[in-house]
Amino acid sequence: MKTTQQALSALLFIALVLCTSGCASVSPWERGNLAKPHMALNPDPMQSALRTHLYGSREASTGGGPSSGGGCGCY
Amino acid sequence: MDVTKPKLLEAKDGFFCNPPPQRAAWADLPHPPLSTGSPAPAAPASLSLHTLTAAALALPGLILSPAYALELDETDFQTSYYEEGKRHTYGVKSNLKPIQVDSLQGGGLLRLSDRVKLAFHFTQDTWSGATPVATAPLAWGGNHPGNTQSGASPLLQLGTVHLDAQLNPLQQNPTTGKLTKNTQLVHTLAMASPETRKQGDFNLGYEWDEAALNVGAGLSQENDYESRFGNLSGRWDFNQKQTSLNLGLSYTNSDINALLDHDATPYIYNTSAGLVNYSQIQSGSQINLVGGAQINNRLLTGNRQDWATNFSLTQILNKNALVVAGIGFTRNTGYMANPYKAVTTVFVDPTQKITSPSSVLTGTSLSLLEKRPEERDQWTGNLSYVQHIGLLDAAAHFDYRLFSDDWGITSHTFEFDWVQPLFDGWTVTPTVRYYSQTAADFYTPYMVSFQTYPGKPTFNPKTRVITLSQLNPNKLLANYSSDQRLSAYGALSGGMTVSKRFAKGISLELGAEYYTHAGSLKMGGGGEGSYADFNYYMVNASVKVDFSALTLPSLVGGSHSKQLDQDSQGDHAGHNHHGDSVGHNDQVAENERSDHSEHSQHGGHAPAGVMFSHMLPEAGGFMVGYRYMYSTDSGQMVNGLNPVSDKAMVAGGCSGHPCYVTPTRMDMNMHMLDLMYAPTNWLTLMAMPQFIDQSMTMRPLDGAPNLSTASPSTSAAVQHSYHAHQTGGVGDTGLYALVKLFDAPGHHVHATLGVSAPTGDTGIQMRDTHGVNIGFIHYGMQLGSGTWDFKPSLTYTGQMDSWSWGAQISGTHRLQEQNVNGYALGDIFQATAWGSYSLFDWLSASVRGLYTTEGAIKGAYNGIYNPVGPMDYTRNYGGHYWDLGFGLNAAVPTGNLRGNHLGVEWLQPVHDDPNGYQLPRVGTLAATWGYSF
Repeated sequence: MKTTQQALSALLFIALVLCTSGCASVSPWERGNLAKPHMALNPDPMQSALRTHLYGSREASTGGGPSSGGGCGCY
Repeated sequence: MDVTKPKLLEAKDGFFCNPPPQRAAWADLPHPPLSTGSPAPAAPASLSLHTLTAAALALPGLILSPAYALELDETDFQTSYYEEGKRHTYGVKSNLKPIQVDSLQGGGLLRLSDRVKLAFHFTQDTWSGATPVATAPLAWGGNHPGNTQSGASPLLQLGTVHLDAQLNPLQQNPTTGKLTKNTQLVHTLAMASPETRKQGDFNLGYEWDEAALNVGAGLSQENDYESRFGNLSGRWDFNQKQTSLNLGLSYTNSDINALLDHDATPYIYNTSAGLVNYSQIQSGSQINLVGGAQINNRLLTGNRQDWATNFSLTQILNKNALVVAGIGFTRNTGYMANPYKAVTTVFVDPTQKITSPSSVLTGTSLSLLEKRPEERDQWTGNLSYVQHIGLLDAAAHFDYRLFSDDWGITSHTFEFDWVQPLFDGWTVTPTVRYYSQTAADFYTPYMVSFQTYPGKPTFNPKTRVITLSQLNPNKLLANYSSDQRLSAYGALSGGMTVSKRFAKGISLELGAEYYTHAGSLKMGGGGEGSYADFNYYMVNASVKVDFSALTLPSLVGGSHSKQLDQDSQGDHAGHNHHGDSVGHNDQVAENERSDHSEHSQHGGHAPAGVMFSHMLPEAGGFMVGYRYMYSTDSGQMVNGLNPVSDKAMVAGGCSGHPCYVTPTRMDMNMHMLDLMYAPTNWLTLMAMPQFIDQSMTMRPLDGAPNLSTASPSTSAAVQHSYHAHQTGGVGDTGLYALVKLFDAPGHHVHATLGVSAPTGDTGIQMRDTHGVNIGFIHYGMQLGSGTWDFKPSLTYTGQMDSWSWGAQISGTHRLQEQNVNGYALGDIFQATAWGSYSLFDWLSASVRGLYTTEGAIKGAYNGIYNPVGPMDYTRNYGGHYWDLGFGLNAAVPTGNLRGNHLGVEWLQPVHDDPNGYQLPRVGTLAATWGYSF
């Protein structure tokens, strides 16, 4: 399973690297839409921290996010 | 956040001379969203100016001048409630309440200089309720051995059970004795009393033009688990800032100190130290006896360490889309089991032979503490895509995560959010999420082991000695857990968030989510049976204040600031510098308006412990504040004015009933949000939600009556008191109107009329112990009054030169005879007077006297209740109290933190005359922060 995943991750990165050279060039003054608050990668950090904590205490897999800490969640 | 791009634009526009319209325009200025934190559109307006300044200086980053840069950018508070649905109990009537969690979060972002940001957060969760501790076949009694309706207690010792030749569970008909196969499983539930976790963390960030570095650390604490963590992350932008590379590293070190379940301990085997007898604690084990011979709590200790790294790449694809791809690796080592989970284990004597397919085996069922590997390596890969939908100005967020670990778990998570801004600052965000995982290799609902059951007595006729057989851990699986979180299942959840952004940078948000966990939802099928299915819902409410939308004018500082203030008299910025006048009457505000330099002269804030001390000076004004109060009672119990001995308490502390325990310490923390709005200049409206957590420790009384004569429920309640008791959650909510009565230079009088709504729980019960329902927890540990309360007060404040003073009388009258649980707290009357002197232009010191009288509790709990000590009797509540308060108030008169106010006060009890038998008070700490605009 691990190899499948590593392979997938590698593929994603190759795709991205290709994209870096191949994507349309977006000038700073063309980034109005990208700069909107609802286009942020995490538009609601406080709520998503709460939800991530709940998922983390109810599911076996965590990670992939920037958060750390969080306690036992033993209940 | 990009700090360089808009330089030219700003220089051209000279935005800081004419703030509001420019700020609005700024939101549409282009800058790439490469920072994932908080890309509030209004925030960066000032940044480029700072960048220019910083660039002009030789040592960027080392400059930390509060007058130029220190700024509170944003602050937010969130409260949430989580509740699970009932679990399947297959015909057993269960009175157990499912798990519920109350959470509070607060945080802020402080800009220390143009390139340095400090973010800080506080989180608190209190949970209680029933959760599965083990799983067993229904045929063997499962959660109800002997057909008794337990369900109320984790009966983990099931006794004699039958299996067929294929090791399937057999159910015996109680009348005919006939055995039939029944593979249905069922959870054994156990109740957890309320417990509270608190976490504080911070993150310090430094921004270069094309890179950022963040360092953070934090601490999470609960009774049985403490985590300390640190993290380091960096970001590098390149390719004209169309690409960002992110790297992160984090480390967490956690200590487990779990008091094992009262109910479960007699049945759980300590397999961690090798061969151990039934219920025995062995030296070298991670389980030890603590608390002394009378208490004998079993404490499990452990440590775990987690290292996590992640690497991701963010790429702008075009004007309307960006993508993030990342991988992460996490390594855990140490104790990773859940100390409250057991695995039902059937011991089959190996002398029994399977001779035919119809052979029947007989075994003894016991429960073992679960065991997990001490190492775990986890890989994650994630992909996020964000697309702007031009027609609707919406944002579509797609996220996928692949997870795989060496425990055999692989999971897939898909999430889709649609963020739709509407008119007038409204935004709605529907969310849907799907999660699916495979089971851990060592997941097993229950185990069968071919060995003599441990603790089986064997009599040796020669030596005439009885020996007990010992557990052979080599005949068990290497690791085993029946925690449903390690089983194969899927989960589907959906939610909706609605937020509204008001003028002046305030946003309110309400969100809800419903989550359903089911074996049948597993991707590709083959999930766990439906007995493990459950669901939950979560609702959250939050308020966010974006100060960068408010304080723009003051960002310039120095002479610019003065110029600006003069320019802006009477318009928007006029509100802004009224922000300084928190705690002042209109006259003070008037003075400020006429002479800005007098900002520093007032210092008239009331001491931090005084509520309703000020109105907002001007119509249309807002204030957001936070108020914290900590109080503690501890020491030798007193009866009225005199300390009392254990003997005296046993004799009279419990109103003529047997007295077994005494409280030794009680702590209370209150977090209050202070929201004020002035519709007119003679009226200020105020809402004050509260969040409370409390804990109480107790000890047995010397000379207490023998427990053997007590009822089982009283005995269980006494046993229960050997653990600290905790409660926490949302408290009562206050709604007030402050009305100006008199206003003259130097003197101000206002009346406050308000009600307190009974939003705090008054029905908190202790968990069942040994299958016995103990009932309500101590009166003083409930979170509210349970009644609608009338709360009037009258406040006078005065001021001359560097002196200010005030007086207030206030009362709390219960509007109902009793709450739903049968009692009402006593009425309260308070009188206080204070004087304050400005030591510096920004700091004042206060002295205050306070008298409080509070009545005893009326009525009594109307449900099951087992009083065991003085704190359980209503007459031992209330009294007469005198306190002396010493306080400091700081108001920031100039600079970017202008308008912020901090206060702290210690209330020292000087004379207590409590009703009946009570703990003496040690003191109260009050702290406030406020910002008005």
